[in-house]
Amino acid sequence: MNAVDDDLWSAIGDPTRRRMLDLLLVDGGGTATSLGQQLPVTRQAVAKHLGVLDRVGLVRAAPAGREKRYLVDEAQLARAVAQLSVVGSAWDARLQRIKRIAETIRHNQQKQQN
Amino acid sequence: MEFGTIEREIYIEAAPEVVFEVVSSPDHLKQWWPDDARYELVPGSPGHIVFGDRDAGGTVVAFTVVEALPPRTFSFRWTHPTDEAAVQGNSLLVTFELTPSGGGTLLRMTEVGFREMGWAAAVLEHQYREHTTGWDFYLPRIAPYAATVRVRP
Repeated sequence: MNAVDDDLWSAIGDPTRRRMLDLLLVDGGGTATSLGQQLPVTRQAVAKHLGVLDRVGLVRAAPAGREKRYLVDEAQLARAVAQLSVVGSAWDARLQRIKRIAETIRHNQQKQQN
Repeated sequence: MEFGTIEREIYIEAAPEVVFEVVSSPDHLKQWWPDDARYELVPGSPGHIVFGDRDAGGTVVAFTVVEALPPRTFSFRWTHPTDEAAVQGNSLLVTFELTPSGGGTLLRMTEVGFREMGWAAAVLEHQYREHTTGWDFYLPRIAPYAATVRVRP
């Protein structure tokens, strides 16, 4: 298993961090202070979450005065989201096939009865 | 979006008994998912499914039935190491729940375990080539159908 990808998985699995990514995308970036003002968690907690996101490459930091300003790495985020939707669409296709097979069986049974 | 679970629901115009057979029997499973399936409908009994040709570079994946209660529930674990028992943490758990609805069946599917298994397992199944997609699936079905279609003189 790829350790980097596992970290990416758990980074995006946390609801607070996903909310932070949403805010950073909407606001076009932000600092621990600006995010802390919009979330029901402390600035320290926000800084810790930002550290997790930074380590897996989901955000990039640039110095901004006494703080760091964070931007979402959209390529990395797209990669994370795409992987899971692929798994979901594989099941969509399987369920469509299950439906078609079951309905064909039913159709054939009805024909035999008539 | 919940990143640890996949949930789907689909309505099927067939009785739960028919749908249960399609989602649970190895012969039917082969029609909608892997190329081969060997398991018994007995909880805990070790089995496997195969993607590709097992004698020519195919992938054999562990598959263990967790629960088989016709015609309401069928669940299994897969992707665990073939020499280990399937438990939470080493496998993905797929559950089918069947509910009678109108003249048909509401089929609900969940797949959980991605968070415990990690990223690699989540993308693993994408790497299997499902023979039932694309031309490999449709062409053999078109041929018999085509044989029944008569061209008017």
